[in-house]
Amino acid sequence: MDPQPRIGVYICHCGVNIAATVDVKAVAEFAATLPGVTVARDYLYMCSDPGQRLIQEDIKAHNLNRVVVASCSPRMHEPTFRGAGEQAGLNPYLVEMANIREQCAWVHSDRGLATDKAKWLVASVVAKAARLEPLEAREVGVTPEALVIGGGVAGMTAALDIAEAGFPVYLVERSDHLGGRVADLNRIFPTLERVADLLGPLTERVQSHPNITVLLNTEVTQVEGYVGNFEVTVRGVEEPLGVGALVIATGYDVFNPRRKPELGYGQYPNVITSLEMEHRLAAAEESGPEVLAVNGRLPKKVAFIQCVGSRDVQLGHPYCSRVCCMYTAKQSRLVRELLPEAEVTVFYMDVRTFAKGAEEFYDEARKKRVLYRRGMVSEIYRRGERVILAGEDTLLGRPFDFEADLVVLAVGMEPRADAAELSSLLKLPRSSDGFFLEIHPKMRPVDTAVDGVFLAGCCQGPKDIPDTIAQAKAAASSALIPLLRGTVPAESATAVVDVEMCAGCGMCVEVCPYGAADLDALWNVSRINPVLCKGCGACAATCPSKAIRLQHFTPDQVLAQVDALLG
Amino acid sequence: MAEKFEPKIVAFLCNWCTYTGADLAGTSRIQYPPNVRIIRLMCSGSVDPTYVLKPLLDGVDGVLVGGCHPGDCHYQSGNYKARRRIIALKEIIKNAGFDEERVWLRWISASEGQRFAETVTKMTEFLREKGPNPMRQKWAV
Amino acid sequence: MKTEPITEQLELFGCIQCGKCTGGCPLARKTELNIRSMIYNMLVEPELDVHAHPELWDCTTCFTCVVRCPKDVRPAELIISLRGQLVESGRIPETIGTALMGIFRQGNPNGMAREDRSAWAQGMEIKDARQGCSVLYHVGCIPSYDLRVQPVARALARALTEAGVDFGTLGTDENCCGNEVRRMGEEGLFEMLVEENGELIRSVGADRLVTTSPHCFNTFKNEYGFDDIEVLHYTQLVAELIEQGRLKFTKEVKAKVTYHDPCFLGKQNGVFEEPRAIIKAIPGVELVEMDRNRERSLCCEGGGGRMWVEGTNKEERLAFQRVHEAADTGAEILAVACPFCLLTLVDAVKVQGLEERLKVMDIMEIVNLAL
Ligand SMILES: Cc1cc2nc3c(=O)[nH]c(=O)nc-3n(C[C@H](O)[C@H](O)[C@H](O)COP(=O)(O)OP(=O)(O)OC[C@H]3O[C@@H](n4cnc5c(N)ncnc54)[C@H](O)[C@@H]3O)c2cc1C
Ligand code: SF4
Ligand code: SF4
Ligand code: FES
Repeated sequence: MDPQPRIGVYICHCGVNIAATVDVKAVAEFAATLPGVTVARDYLYMCSDPGQRLIQEDIKAHNLNRVVVASCSPRMHEPTFRGAGEQAGLNPYLVEMANIREQCAWVHSDRGLATDKAKWLVASVVAKAARLEPLEAREVGVTPEALVIGGGVAGMTAALDIAEAGFPVYLVERSDHLGGRVADLNRIFPTLERVADLLGPLTERVQSHPNITVLLNTEVTQVEGYVGNFEVTVRGVEEPLGVGALVIATGYDVFNPRRKPELGYGQYPNVITSLEMEHRLAAAEESGPEVLAVNGRLPKKVAFIQCVGSRDVQLGHPYCSRVCCMYTAKQSRLVRELLPEAEVTVFYMDVRTFAKGAEEFYDEARKKRVLYRRGMVSEIYRRGERVILAGEDTLLGRPFDFEADLVVLAVGMEPRADAAELSSLLKLPRSSDGFFLEIHPKMRPVDTAVDGVFLAGCCQGPKDIPDTIAQAKAAASSALIPLLRGTVPAESATAVVDVEMCAGCGMCVEVCPYGAADLDALWNVSRINPVLCKGCGACAATCPSKAIRLQHFTPDQVLAQVDALLG
Repeated sequence: MAEKFEPKIVAFLCNWCTYTGADLAGTSRIQYPPNVRIIRLMCSGSVDPTYVLKPLLDGVDGVLVGGCHPGDCHYQSGNYKARRRIIALKEIIKNAGFDEERVWLRWISASEGQRFAETVTKMTEFLREKGPNPMRQKWAV
Repeated sequence: MKTEPITEQLELFGCIQCGKCTGGCPLARKTELNIRSMIYNMLVEPELDVHAHPELWDCTTCFTCVVRCPKDVRPAELIISLRGQLVESGRIPETIGTALMGIFRQGNPNGMAREDRSAWAQGMEIKDARQGCSVLYHVGCIPSYDLRVQPVARALARALTEAGVDFGTLGTDENCCGNEVRRMGEEGLFEMLVEENGELIRSVGADRLVTTSPHCFNTFKNEYGFDDIEVLHYTQLVAELIEQGRLKFTKEVKAKVTYHDPCFLGKQNGVFEEPRAIIKAIPGVELVEMDRNRERSLCCEGGGGRMWVEGTNKEERLAFQRVHEAADTGAEILAVACPFCLLTLVDAVKVQGLEERLKVMDIMEIVNLAL
């Protein structure tokens, strides 16, 4: 350890994000009084270039040997500030962060109390910083291959981009064909191109690409390892596949309207889902409108009901499915063309047309005499060969009993029924709606809590095809970062044994999940292999002789944090 | 007039689940009492018994240990180890004549910002009811 | 004390004006009642003149609106709350006032004497629950006093006895459950009933509480906070007894039967299958369904105080429509599992001249024929 800590403390305003609730000046003044602190400052944006330069200049001018940045979560900017320190010649592990934004300014409103708390958080991290030790940065090699789970448009696009960059890709698809849900569609909004025209060339490129191995009718059953070196077991493939990065593109399930029994789906032949309608429209374009007949008659009145299974708190689906408004506009428009005599009505609560070209497409649908009535259908029952849609026209303020021959339920998206299994296989968190969770909704939309695993398409949340493809391309380029660099940083904060104190009981060998601890046959003391150790600290907490320390989280450091918190 | 008692809580949160959940409470702007002070650890399985005992002896009113849900630990089984250790520890605390209810172990995932905020709120209320850690006075005199 | 405005209390700002509530409301089709627009009205002009809305008394508290709302707004609670303002002002329909007074004084809405509450059981040996029993039978006001409904209670008591169930009642100390009281907006009286009844019922120490009426069942189950007492509607208990082989049928009832789901049993509490299981178990019976069954059952218009107030459109009764739907199935018996449904539908069959074709019976009465 350096003889005397000379700590620089930097309190970030984060614009007003922190400064509005926390008196940053007061925190800086307080920090200046803490033991070991040489300089303490506040600044508008610490992560900005001038902010980082401020730290670097101080390191040189004041000969600082520790840096504490009090700002956002270390999960956000720890790499930034460690990098800044390193450029100024400071070991990156001598830079530590206090989280006064996510865990203070944003969750409290009382300025006095929040400022107080921020002070103690800073004091705690300063106490730890004073005891930090430099660690050696280590890198491990990367297996220059990737694996994509799910062969829909998302998975195919991601696989293709990685393959084009020159790396081998495995594409694992559960069903017997590529294309996912899109393969079940007829024409695509807003261009109205046929699905075959979109999917055909894409599938063809994937199948013939020399870098892509398509594995159909199978699934991933086990994933081990870490970013750079995953070992993926795929059913039916003998050896585990070694890959450096994974892309998850497992898509979505459509909502099953039997969960809304009041809509009569499954009871009346007149009521079908939008997905079934895609099939019928495809068949009608192929062999004539007769395919659209219900109970042997061509429908004269066709109704569409939007938001079935979406935006519904009672179902646990509070989200908007983002495609139903547009595919309803698409389908209703196609019905008007195929059955010019039919009256087409769409029942909706809001129409959302945010995609490029979408509002224009919606305008076209209405001009083709699709009638939009604002008001949701509450229930459906039978009258003779037809069904009655009971609802309210909220613009007229009058209930209606609307007779229809054919009713299309615009069913929304939901997480795959088996998302939980994949989630526990990969330790991949899901958001409360059940879709896979990105690490940050704005800044890191395709990264996950698991390094080296990226999300593409509807497995992360409802999307249309353009958004799916955009995200797939983003996931591919993120996955390419470790593959192109060839190495990834390895855990430096590993556990170390003090052989003098080790009694050779072997409890660490038992608790280590990675087989990193081993008893030396000759000396009967524990040895920890730093390449295998992931730094979980289970051994250190278990060792009855206190012979093991988890570097960067030593009892000395942690207890100093506790003491400082008490003030 | 006596000042209203405000408990001090030290929380040891695993980096992968609960610490991230606490961050999510922040990004979602979910408010909770400022009584909690968080210390980041890599895994709940690295919580050494002294991390819980020392604060209690020093007069902290409550210790919260947060980890991933069973089966979700980033290091496979750290949370199971934590559970076993905390159960044993509570027994020791009780036998030594201290109040084991001041130690809470909770599984809170990265997506459960709401749950993190609720846990802190509940724990703060619970400790307000319970009153200060008797060790506090001991040191005060 | 400053209370939160209704719009906050009921979180009406959560409403997206989708219209599913009014769209499903059976009353909206025949009267001025439009709960969706009333919510909007409250948001825009919170000072609603409740006296200008006689249709507030039309709501049957069937809770279709509550079940359908995608945003978990509880529209019917707004009506209940506004009725509360009316009750407080004292300007309420006379018949509603009489019913509430009857409950306050005599423990039943018809204002019948308390001492006569156990008259329904004349000639039967029924244990006082306070001697100890595992099932407490809450008979309810209408089955206790109404001549048309009393046989239902008798049939149930007989079946429980035959199945060897250790049950008892509170005799003349039984009191109105208050389900309709709360829904008529008399929150104060309701709270008083919850406290008194709650204490009395808990003192019995029974594990299970069974009711004749889905209305009593609903409030006991959802509003009394009985954590240690399992609240059952009789159809749940009887279905269980049949399933366990404790209740055996000895006679056939040759009939085609259709079943009307009561709102408080089906929609509101999800009990759809047990009543059907009983009907299907009766030898000789064939169960046929109406098109609008289970979640889509049409309200008979008997709940929420509507037994005691006509509403603003007395000509087109929903019960009339319902008995035609039942008759159209070809059934000879329209089975019900609720005292209110029994009375409204019996009446409707008479008025609609369907007596030759259709007979309305409580499920318990059909069971009784087969025992
Ligand atoms: C009725 C309807 C009409 C639509 N119309 C349009 C439109 O006109 N225009 C438009 O832009 N969008 C439309 N969409 C949306 C479109 O379907 C989606 O944007 C698109 O399918 C998303 O692609 P994906 O690859 O993310 O998911 P998916 O298409 O669901 O593909 C996922 C793939 O992963 C596979 N998979 C799942 N789990 C596993 C596993 N564990 N292991 C291996 N493989 C697995 C599946 O078998 C599937 O092949 C419509 C949606 C619906 C419901
Ligand atoms: S159903 Fe719910 S959200 Fe829709 S209008 Fe009625 S109260 Fe509002
Ligand atoms: S409870 Fe029934 S009658 Fe009353 S408003 Fe709701 S749907 Fe209409
Ligand atoms: S990483 Fe969260 S408990 Fe182990």
